[in-house]
Amino acid sequence: MSILRQVPRNALVWIIICLFALVAPHAGRLPIWILALYVVAVIWRLQVHRGRWSFPSRSVKVAMILSGFVGIYASYGSFIGLEPTVALLLIAFALKLVELSHRKDAYVLLFLGYFICITEFLFSQDLLVTLYALVSVTLVTTALVAIHRPGEQEFRLGTIRVASVMLLQAMPLMVVLFFLFPRFGPLWTVPIKSHTAKTGMSDFMKPGDVASLSQSADVAFRVKFDGDIPAKSALYWRGLVFSRIEQGVWSGLGFYDLPASQRRPQEITTDGEPIRYSIIMEPTQQNWLYGLKYARSDTRAVMQTSDFRLFSPVPVETEYMYTVNSWTNVVVDEVLSDWRRKTETELPPTGNAKTRKLSLDLKAKADSDEAFVGLVLDTFRQEPYVYTLRPGLLPEQDSIDAFLFESRRGFCEHYASAFVFMMRAAGVPARVVAGYQGGEINPINKTVIVHQFDAHAWAEVWLASRGWVRVDPTAAVSPQRIEFGLEQAMESEGSFLSTVLLSPLRYRSIPLLNLLRLRYDALTYQWQTWVVGFDNERQFDLLRSFFGETTAKAFAIVLLGSWALVLLPVAISLFLARDIHPVSPLGKHYRIFCKRLARLDLRRGPGETPCQFAQRAAKALPEYADSLWQITELYNQLAYADAKSSAGNAAQDLQHFSAVISRFRPKRHSAALIKGTEL
Amino acid sequence: MLLGLEHDSVENDALGTERDSKGIRAQIKARFRKWVTRRIPPAREVTLDQRRIFIFPSRVGFFFGSCLLVMLLAAINFENNLSYALTFWLATLFIIAILHTYANLSGLTIRALRAEPAFPGQQSEFNVMIKRSKRRDHFALHLKWPNSSDALVSLVDEDSVIVQLHMAVDTRGWFSPGRLLLESTYPLGLLRCWTLIDLELYALVYPRPLVSTDLPGLATNTPDGAAAFVGGNDDFYGFRGYRKGDSLRQVHWKGLAKQQGLLTKQYTAYADHSVWLDWDMFAGLGTEQRLSHLCYWLLEFDRCGQEYGLRLPTGVIEPALGDKHRDQVLKELALYGKERRAR
Repeated sequence: MSILRQVPRNALVWIIICLFALVAPHAGRLPIWILALYVVAVIWRLQVHRGRWSFPSRSVKVAMILSGFVGIYASYGSFIGLEPTVALLLIAFALKLVELSHRKDAYVLLFLGYFICITEFLFSQDLLVTLYALVSVTLVTTALVAIHRPGEQEFRLGTIRVASVMLLQAMPLMVVLFFLFPRFGPLWTVPIKSHTAKTGMSDFMKPGDVASLSQSADVAFRVKFDGDIPAKSALYWRGLVFSRIEQGVWSGLGFYDLPASQRRPQEITTDGEPIRYSIIMEPTQQNWLYGLKYARSDTRAVMQTSDFRLFSPVPVETEYMYTVNSWTNVVVDEVLSDWRRKTETELPPTGNAKTRKLSLDLKAKADSDEAFVGLVLDTFRQEPYVYTLRPGLLPEQDSIDAFLFESRRGFCEHYASAFVFMMRAAGVPARVVAGYQGGEINPINKTVIVHQFDAHAWAEVWLASRGWVRVDPTAAVSPQRIEFGLEQAMESEGSFLSTVLLSPLRYRSIPLLNLLRLRYDALTYQWQTWVVGFDNERQFDLLRSFFGETTAKAFAIVLLGSWALVLLPVAISLFLARDIHPVSPLGKHYRIFCKRLARLDLRRGPGETPCQFAQRAAKALPEYADSLWQITELYNQLAYADAKSSAGNAAQDLQHFSAVISRFRPKRHSAALIKGTEL
Repeated sequence: MLLGLEHDSVENDALGTERDSKGIRAQIKARFRKWVTRRIPPAREVTLDQRRIFIFPSRVGFFFGSCLLVMLLAAINFENNLSYALTFWLATLFIIAILHTYANLSGLTIRALRAEPAFPGQQSEFNVMIKRSKRRDHFALHLKWPNSSDALVSLVDEDSVIVQLHMAVDTRGWFSPGRLLLESTYPLGLLRCWTLIDLELYALVYPRPLVSTDLPGLATNTPDGAAAFVGGNDDFYGFRGYRKGDSLRQVHWKGLAKQQGLLTKQYTAYADHSVWLDWDMFAGLGTEQRLSHLCYWLLEFDRCGQEYGLRLPTGVIEPALGDKHRDQVLKELALYGKERRAR
């Protein structure tokens, strides 16, 4: 094999390190057999290196590729979608290692490695994932450098220095390109994530669902208000509206469940200044977005449904940022359509008889719908109801009866569900609303962090002339939940985040840890707004804030200027390496002398002594012979003088020499003359 | 028939265009050679600077570029900002690599040392020194002449390195290996940086030795020289002190081992009778054939330790013996009728 085509041993080690570094962040998503394949691949390649085993034959390779495809199909059920595609890439990556023998294989392998780095980002653009990707890219680049260092037979760390230096030098230009490169929409549709678990609220609700969601300390979304942050008790983040109850399960109305005339949301006239805020959602793989009632979004892709929810036509697969204007005092649905009224009062024909009876009794006592709502809430308040994360199991049949009259232990969804049931039983339009309530205020950057444990369910009741009004039966049972949050509400029970031991939220009582957590969260927010959420709108704003009106000229200047700014120092640092044989100050002056003569085609040959050179030069330039000899003699005198002369004298001599040199300026015409005579 | 004719004419056309394209290619090559000669004039020692270094993306670089394009498409289609960032990072890494690849060649000095003389068909060894002037590591420098063996060297711990390249030589006279290719794709392999330098390094190619059974009209200094030559192959006479130029084959190595100093063995028969290798010995043959026969015989004499001289129409070398003498005679034969000095 030609020396140019070999893969040095040092590089092989780096490549194997890369391999594991790249597969690690995907490990959680991959079936176990792919990880096993990686181990086998590395062992196989190392055995080949040691001369024990041989490279796989063509038929073995084909068999491995085919079984890879079969395995993917068996594990994922299809080849379409992001996960199977990435899994296929990772299999190809491992198999390429087994047949790695030439340098060109290594190129393919490492470029594939860069691509695998990118696929990581399709799953998460988290700060930590990004930091990890920096490490992976450095490792891949190091391996790339290592394959160009022949003869390095032992493992050396010096290679990583070269790679890191180059990557650091490339970083500023990357930043410029990142902010200046135009962003446009997708060119064609791409495989979507099909196998990632959906997180957050689901589109139906049965007793116990919200309680189990409240065990999670993950962040649901972060909110940044333009003005002051409203009171925590007013932060009801509407996400889903459940208008249908079937066998004790609440569900929402899909777009096609609505008659055509009901699909468009009613026009709402707004007055007054809205509350303005922007929300960055963590990926949920679902379509619904959150907002305070009544919410409208400026963000182009965000849509509104007929029950005044915000909605994204594509599932939220990565961190998603949108801005919202909310008018909290606006009347929505002042006039209720007949279809709406019928839908929002519909109940299963039978079941929960005791609840229905209680509802009708209370309705008879009340003189208006509003008074009726008050009576129902009073019932919750006065009877010994317990707000708990451990409500216990309820029977499938007549579960609301069982809750209201027997267990009397429930989480928000129990109360909301029972409340809406009672309203509907008395013919008052009502529905369950699910979302989040409250949030943690980060004092560092004044954002509201809404966690999964802030998940909440409440009710909306339609009242004449007031439209849909929010009623939270949980507030009647446990006012602390709304005022302070779940942790305070569960203080006596001790059930808050009892299953997630490692969450930093559990250790909020340690000031230092809490500060670190909040700082990191603030950083994450910055990261999400400036990097993850950077889009053409932000780009436009940024460019305008820098250059006023963006012109092509300014654009070009910034691009070229930044490139010069980065490339020049790099070039200088590269070419200004130290000389191996440093030149003395005296030698420097003598070099100037030689350079001046070289302009007249008199070049000092290698190994020619100054005297010999002067002789030759004097012959060619007789009219300069005197100064030539003077300079040469002086040079010899100074260069070979004993250390007799003191330091002060030496400096003086040098100055004198440089003065003589600067006066020596031989002219070209005389050289040409000499040449002519020679001919 | 008609078809056949047509076929022929098509073939002729094809041949014609092929010839044309060959002609154009040759023309382009010649023009390129001329341009390179103007840009990098031949010299025994060349220091690489921006005039002498060429740089262009390698095939791997183009492959990398297309990978970047795919990555960019992924970033656009997934609207994924960090994918954009990574793609741009790698793209700017490509740009930065231009400087690093260039720096790997820049500042190197290549000096022609010597080329070993050889017989036609043999490999001649070309010695070249690569030296650095700055304290910067140079990796994976690939050296090659057209048709020569190649070498891959790095300057890391040492400031200079001597590289030996081997190439088969063919015709008698000065052999020019052409322009030396020095290239490197370090550090990333994405760019290829190279130079083509003419080091004015020429290998002397001797005539091809051609066996002839007898030596017609052998000229010796004494009338019975021929007989003496035929008779005494190893008439050992005695020792004398080693003189510079004595054949190593006649050195008394055993004596050296016994610490008697360097002695040369002397043989009676040839000490007195020297032989003349004469151009006219092979009258009637062509120049190359004559030279080949002369070459064969001089090697024979050298092997046996017979003093010999050379008479050519261009000059005379007095009879003597030893490696230096042999090389001188071989050189005379090699350059007979050729340019005396390398350009």
